[in-house]
Amino acid sequence: MTRLVATIFKELLLLGRDRAGLLVLFLMPAVLVIVVSLVQENILKVTGETVVRVLFVDQDRQLLGQFIETQFRQSGTIEIANEVNGRTADEKNARAAVEDGDFQFAVVIPAGATEAVEKRVKRQILSAFDPGDAAAGSNRDMPRVTLLFDPLVQGTFRASVTNALHVILLTLELEMKARAVSEIFPQQLEQTLQKAMGPQGTATIGNPLASMNPEWGRQRLLGIESRQATRGDAAKRPSSVQQNVPAWALFGMFFIVVPMGGSLIREKQEGTLLRVMSLPVSYLTILAGKVCAYVLVCCFQFTLILAVGKFVLPLLGAPELEIGSAPLAIAVVVASAALAATGYGIFLGTIARTYEQASMFGAVSVVIAAAMGGIMVPVYAMPKLMQQISQFSPLAWGLNALVNVFARNGTALSVFPQIALLLFFFAGTVLLSWFFFHHRGLTVN
Amino acid sequence: MEKTHPGRPLVVRQLRKTYPGEAAPALRDVDLHVDAGEALGLLGPNGAGKTTAISIMSTLMRPDSGTVTICGIEIFKQTHRAKKHFGLVPQEIALYPSLTCHENLHFFGRLAGLKGRKLKGRIDECIDLVGLTASAGKRVATFSGGMKRRANIAAGILHKPELLFLDEPTVGIDAQSRHMILEMLARLNRQGTGMIYTTHYMEEAQALCSRVAIIDQGKIIVQGPPLELTARYPGCADLGGLFLLLTGKQLRD
Repeated sequence: MTRLVATIFKELLLLGRDRAGLLVLFLMPAVLVIVVSLVQENILKVTGETVVRVLFVDQDRQLLGQFIETQFRQSGTIEIANEVNGRTADEKNARAAVEDGDFQFAVVIPAGATEAVEKRVKRQILSAFDPGDAAAGSNRDMPRVTLLFDPLVQGTFRASVTNALHVILLTLELEMKARAVSEIFPQQLEQTLQKAMGPQGTATIGNPLASMNPEWGRQRLLGIESRQATRGDAAKRPSSVQQNVPAWALFGMFFIVVPMGGSLIREKQEGTLLRVMSLPVSYLTILAGKVCAYVLVCCFQFTLILAVGKFVLPLLGAPELEIGSAPLAIAVVVASAALAATGYGIFLGTIARTYEQASMFGAVSVVIAAAMGGIMVPVYAMPKLMQQISQFSPLAWGLNALVNVFARNGTALSVFPQIALLLFFFAGTVLLSWFFFHHRGLTVN
Repeated sequence: MEKTHPGRPLVVRQLRKTYPGEAAPALRDVDLHVDAGEALGLLGPNGAGKTTAISIMSTLMRPDSGTVTICGIEIFKQTHRAKKHFGLVPQEIALYPSLTCHENLHFFGRLAGLKGRKLKGRIDECIDLVGLTASAGKRVATFSGGMKRRANIAAGILHKPELLFLDEPTVGIDAQSRHMILEMLARLNRQGTGMIYTTHYMEEAQALCSRVAIIDQGKIIVQGPPLELTARYPGCADLGGLFLLLTGKQLRD
C-alpha cells in the first residue's frame, strides 16, 4: 500500500511540475468548451432559435406589407429592420446591404401589392362562379414578394426563413380568400336566387347569407403540440452547452494520454524504470499507482470543465449547464472514461519507442477518436458510414452516456452498456500493454 | 536486512544469454562470485556483455540458462525477496529530473520498503554520504553531472544493500567528483558491501577492486586480483596494458 501511495504521490508531483502537460490537461479543454459552446450557441440562435435580422422593404404600405411585418415580428425568431445605415430601406440599398453581408435576408414588398392581390382574389372567386374567365388563375400578373438572401447562407437556415415567408403568405391568401368568399358568395347566392325565384321570392327568405362572418378564414382546424421527449423533467432544454461541456471535458480527459504516455517513455529512456524494476515492487503496483494518479487528475479535470459550463458560460451569454439528476451515474461514467483514457495512455507509453512518437500519435489518435465520437460534430449529423464507425470510439461511448445523463435524465442503469464498454477498453489496453511490456523488455534503445 | 548467505552475496553459474535475432550469444557460460566486502571489477570493451550481465544479475532480464544467487536466494525463483538484498546504480542517471534529490530518494526509499523515521534517517545519511546536503532540496535537473552521479549512487544504496551493482558510475564527470565517488564507494566496501563495478577506467578498477574479471564477446577471459593478473602476464605494467593485451586493439562499436 505504501508503495502504491508513493507512486501516486510521485506521479502527481511530476505532473504538477509539467507546465506544458498542465496546460494541455486543464487550459485547453476549458478554452475549447468556452469557445465552441459560444460559437455553436450563436449558430443555434442564427439558425432558428432567436434573432435572425431581416431587412424589410415595404413599398406597399398597406395590408400585405403590414401583415407580413406583423407576422415576422410575432414569430419571435426574426428581427425586422426597416433602415439601412439610417436611411429608409428600398430595394436598391437592401440588395447592397445583403450583398455586403450586413443582413442575411431582405424581404421586398412591391408597391401596390395589396391592391393587386385583392383584385386577383376577387377575380379568382368570381371565376369559380363563372368558369368562362380562364385567365383568372394565370400567374402572369401575380404580384411577387422578393426574398433576397446572402449567398453564404445555405441549407436549413435559408429554408427556414423561406418556409416562414411561405406560411405567412399562405395564411394571408387564405384570409383574403375567405374574406372575398364571405363578401361574394352571399351576393352570388342572392343573384342566383333572384334569377330563379324573382325579387318577391328572395324577399321572403330574409338576408342571413349577406352577413357571412369573414373571420372563419382565420379559425384554425389543426394544431401542433411540440414537446421534448425526455424522461422526467421536461422543462430542461438541451443546448449546445449540454453537448459541448461533456464532449470537450471527455476530449481533455483523453488528452491525458500525451503526458501519461510521455511519462512512461521518459521513465524508460531516463532509466528510472530500470531502478524501479530493480526494487522489491511489482510492475502492477507501479501501473496501479499511475492509473490512480491520472484517474484523479481526469476527475479533477472533468469537475473543472463542469464548473466552467455551470458558472463561466452563463456569464458569457450561453445557457447554464444542466447536470441532470443522477450525480452517481455521472461519477461512474467519468471514472470509467478516466480509466479508459489512462489505459490508452499506458498502452501508448508501452508501445511507443520515443516521446515524440507517443505525443504525436497520442494527440492525433485522440483527435480522430473525438471526431469519430461526435465531440466536434454530433453523431446524428454524420453520414451513415461515419455513424457506424463512431460506435467504435471510446469517446462516443463516454459522450453518449454523459449526454444521456445530462440531457435525457438517464441513470447509471440506462448508461450501463457504455460504462461496460469503457471498462472493457481499459482492461483490454492494460492487458495489451502487459503483453508488450514483457515481450519487448524494459529498455527502449 | 535478512542475511541468508553472509559469506558470499553473489554467485553466478553458467549464465548464457542470446538476444532474439542475434546469432552470437551476449553471454557465454559466465561464472562469477563476489565475497562479502569484496569489490569485483567487471571490465570489458563496448559490447562485451557487461551491461547484459548486470541486467540479468539485477533481475531486469532473464537469462537463457544458468543461475544467479544473491545472498543465498536464487533470484529468478524468489525475485521479490532477492531484490531486497541488492542495489543498482545504472549507467543512466535513473532519477526524475523534475523532482528534488530528496523527493527522488523518498520515492525510491518507499519502493524499497523503507518508511517513517527509518526512511528519513537513511535519506539524510545517504545525502550526507554523497555530499549533497546543501542541494537536497534542489531539482535534479539543475544538478551538475557530478552531482547527478552522486545522487544516482545515493538512490542505489538507500536500503543498505549487501550487494551493489555499479554500471559505469563515474562516466562523464570531472576528476574531483570521480575521486569523491571512489572514496565513498571504498568506504562502503570497507563497511562490508559487496560490489560489482563495471568501468572503462582501468585505474579506477585498480584502485577500488580487490578482484577483476575481464569479459569479451560474452565470455570471462580471466579473473583475479589486479596485481596477480598483471604479474601473470609478462610485459603488462598495469591493468590497462593487460586489458589491451587480452581484448586486442581493434576498435569496437
